[in-house]
Amino acid sequence: MSHLASRRSLLLGSLASALPACDARSSNGAGRAAFWYSYGGKNREVLERLLARFHADPRRPRIDATFQGDYFESLAKVRTAIAVGAAPAMTHVVSEVVPYLAEAGALEPLDGYEGAADLDLVPEIAQSGTYEGGARRPLLAIPFNRSVPIMYVNGTMLERAGVAIPRDWGELRAAANALTVRRGAEVAVWGFECPVSWLFWVALVASAGGRVVDEGGTVTLGGDAGARALDLWQTLTHRDRVMRPPLGRDYNAWQVGTQDFLSGRAAILWSSTAFLRYIEENARFPVKVAPLARDHRHAIPAGGTFFVLLRAAEEREKRAAWQFLRWMTEREQTMEWATSTGYLPVTRAAITELARNGFYDAHANDKVVLGELGSVEPWPWSPTLFRVQREIMDPLLEDAVLQGTNAAEALAKGRREALLP
Amino acid sequence: MKPARRHEPYLLLAPTLTLLTLFFLVPFLVAARESLFSWDLLTPRTYIGLSNYRTLWERGELGRAFRNTLAYSAVVVSGALLLGLALALLLDRKGQLAAFVRSAVFSAYVVSWVAVALLFMWLLDGEVGIVTRLAVAVGLPKKNWLGDADVALYTLAVVSIWKIAGYAMIVFLAGLQDIPPVLYEAAALDGAGPVLRFRSVTWPALRPSAAFVATTSLILSFQAFDVVRIMTQGGPAHATELFVYAIYEQIFLNLRVGRASALTLVFGVLVLSLTALQLRLLRGREAT
Amino acid sequence: MKARLLVPSLVSLVVAAAWIGPYAWMVLTSLKTLPELLHDPTALLPKTWTLAAYREVWATVPMARYLLNTAVMAGLIAVLQIVLALPAGFALAKLDFAGRKTAFGLVLVCLLVPAQATFVPVFLMLGRVGLVNTLAALVLPFGASALGTFLVRQACLSIPDELIEAARLDGASDLHIVYRLLAPALRPTLVALFLLSFVFHWNDYFWPLVMTTDDRIRTVPVGIALLREQGTGVRWHLVMAGNVILSAPILAVFAIAQRHLVRAVATRGF
Repeated sequence: MSHLASRRSLLLGSLASALPACDARSSNGAGRAAFWYSYGGKNREVLERLLARFHADPRRPRIDATFQGDYFESLAKVRTAIAVGAAPAMTHVVSEVVPYLAEAGALEPLDGYEGAADLDLVPEIAQSGTYEGGARRPLLAIPFNRSVPIMYVNGTMLERAGVAIPRDWGELRAAANALTVRRGAEVAVWGFECPVSWLFWVALVASAGGRVVDEGGTVTLGGDAGARALDLWQTLTHRDRVMRPPLGRDYNAWQVGTQDFLSGRAAILWSSTAFLRYIEENARFPVKVAPLARDHRHAIPAGGTFFVLLRAAEEREKRAAWQFLRWMTEREQTMEWATSTGYLPVTRAAITELARNGFYDAHANDKVVLGELGSVEPWPWSPTLFRVQREIMDPLLEDAVLQGTNAAEALAKGRREALLP
Repeated sequence: MKPARRHEPYLLLAPTLTLLTLFFLVPFLVAARESLFSWDLLTPRTYIGLSNYRTLWERGELGRAFRNTLAYSAVVVSGALLLGLALALLLDRKGQLAAFVRSAVFSAYVVSWVAVALLFMWLLDGEVGIVTRLAVAVGLPKKNWLGDADVALYTLAVVSIWKIAGYAMIVFLAGLQDIPPVLYEAAALDGAGPVLRFRSVTWPALRPSAAFVATTSLILSFQAFDVVRIMTQGGPAHATELFVYAIYEQIFLNLRVGRASALTLVFGVLVLSLTALQLRLLRGREAT
Repeated sequence: MKARLLVPSLVSLVVAAAWIGPYAWMVLTSLKTLPELLHDPTALLPKTWTLAAYREVWATVPMARYLLNTAVMAGLIAVLQIVLALPAGFALAKLDFAGRKTAFGLVLVCLLVPAQATFVPVFLMLGRVGLVNTLAALVLPFGASALGTFLVRQACLSIPDELIEAARLDGASDLHIVYRLLAPALRPTLVALFLLSFVFHWNDYFWPLVMTTDDRIRTVPVGIALLREQGTGVRWHLVMAGNVILSAPILAVFAIAQRHLVRAVATRGF
């Protein structure tokens, strides 16, 4: 038994060292907090840079930042972690899911935290402007990386084809047709590319005057406007064949769109302002942005995420996390975040300073993005909003555009599904 | 043998039986119970009876998971059998080259599914993957192997075949080595050519191995998860939504514990039946 | 070379290419830089051979932690399975007692149940007692191996009773018999079990994915899979570097213990 026993004790020793570390100890007494975040690439670099700067002051708490994959995977982990008692103190979640988490009691109310009242946030993208009645509710979410959908155009291609930047759906269709380049049966350049997903469909619906969830909380999926929105995509994809059919799920589709645009395989791209910096830096042609082509009106949802603190975490951790959160909303940090990534600056002080120091004069595209703030339409405060997005709309949209099924029928089916337990 | 002390056997078995019961039997009771409720882990449960099963059936999710898994398994099993047999016949010879190639093929079975999935994602990328480029170079159509709903499931199957062919090959090789050479000599003396020798000597002797490979590959296919999660996440348009991934999606992405439990129960019953078949074969082989 | 050997040899080389080619491409990609990959993804050799990808992976991802977690987890599982299977297999093979048939039946039934069928309830169960994201969640569910118990029992059946009775007469306790007498006698079976278990659990992606939520206890397969989840385009050189780090230890084990692994797989089936 001896050699087995010694082997076991060796392993038990390593076990002890490999067990999750107790977080009671912290190097400076200011505490630690776990922060789960979820985007990689350039944005991750910027976040890590900011974290390093935060930690440069030894009096500040340590933030243990863990990368958890994309938004949806991270959200899944957060929700299950809450349920099994392993929740982090802080994370960031897409705006659609905040009402659900709030109603489930998962979010920590922030009104009582030091300095919460004077954060000077840009209202359109803070809780107050993002949700109907958001200002009346307890403060639960602080904007982090907020974006709007925007239209990117390849300046060279449009000029060469003599096409102006489209302003409405009709012009969009004409432009896409003019810009598509075919080589035999294959398409060499797609006139129009857009991730077939929730955010852009909601934008189309809002533009057509519809609401996804009505004031009473019933899931209407935009009614007629919803069907017209879906139909636009189907027309462009199947009848005109100027829009690339959906590829990949969730953020894979967004990535493919970006890559296509950068490599000259797509002339017009609908995507997020989140990619602005990346696209500008990597394009080998002039990139112009413009508001999405509209139908009746110009109204867009805002995308991106909010910081939240999780109620289930320990008090000490939450307070430590709040210090980081508040630091992130200071003018310096919000300016750096916005200018390095392309997300909107979340404080008014940041916008004022950026206007003052000539940033917007030097960056025409960012100015256009800023202008879109006026058209942001709030979400309904509906706990089912997220389920509608994930379980009903994203699969429905992908399916309907791939197969070309009748838009009104597809949405009617979706409305029925929304009623299932 | 009589035990030295009366309680001896129970003490010897206690740790094993406790853990097995706790982690392999009790879960089915838990799943059965949870499948009757609607629960999102954050708010209290609600009892809804058999609604979950009904919803899964009506939304087509149950049928789709089953169909996809069946189609995928059919391809993987046939592929593993054919390729495994072909490789075994080819490489059942002495020499360093054969030994080296056998190792190379078998090594794919030993590495992680994650490694294989990531590697083939890169190789098969619709635009920049080297396999895609090579295919175009030799005149095959340029397909988005993982992004085309018609092809994606079969792409996953081919990747899996690449990984497990080595396993099938090893089993067939063991079977081949059990065939006494005198049988071949006798057949040759009777004037049988290589094809006839295969049909009359080799294949009958390999049938048990083939059955074994078939059932093991079938079970492995039904348990497939990693390739789906990493390469396609069940898409495009649910084309690659296999059973285990469907369960994972229900609980971790949709947070519907009830539906996930219902799927778990159905899946459990399915796999239990398949594995029972394999066990009978295992004991049959041990006996021979 | 004789004509008869030529065709099989050529085909063998094609086969070798089909199985080695992907690995080679993996390693070559891991030695390239991002600009190279963006502009000429299918160039065969790297323009500048560099280990930068490995350095970046090591810097951005707590790889050392992951490697330690994975090795400890896989090692513990393999050892625990052997430690538990030996007495259980012995009891089922050699001792007469009431309920033996039931106990064996239980083992057989559990042999049929894969982890994919139990993960939801086990996750809920462990969650209720706060064990999610701990080493226990990764190790305990696999601590008892139905397959291991079954195989040890098979092997014990062929050990003559006299040997055990003689040891008893000498005053040996059960533990002594099981771990001092049987273990050495069953060495081939135990080695096979250890190898199969260690390799399987090192490679396991599914269970750690479900049971871990942060970096403290995360394992290499899960960590590597996260490399592909980027915001602005997959950086393949990093993913492939991670892949090499993931596969190298197992390929090393394979190189050393190939014969044992082959025998284990060929005769037992997994």
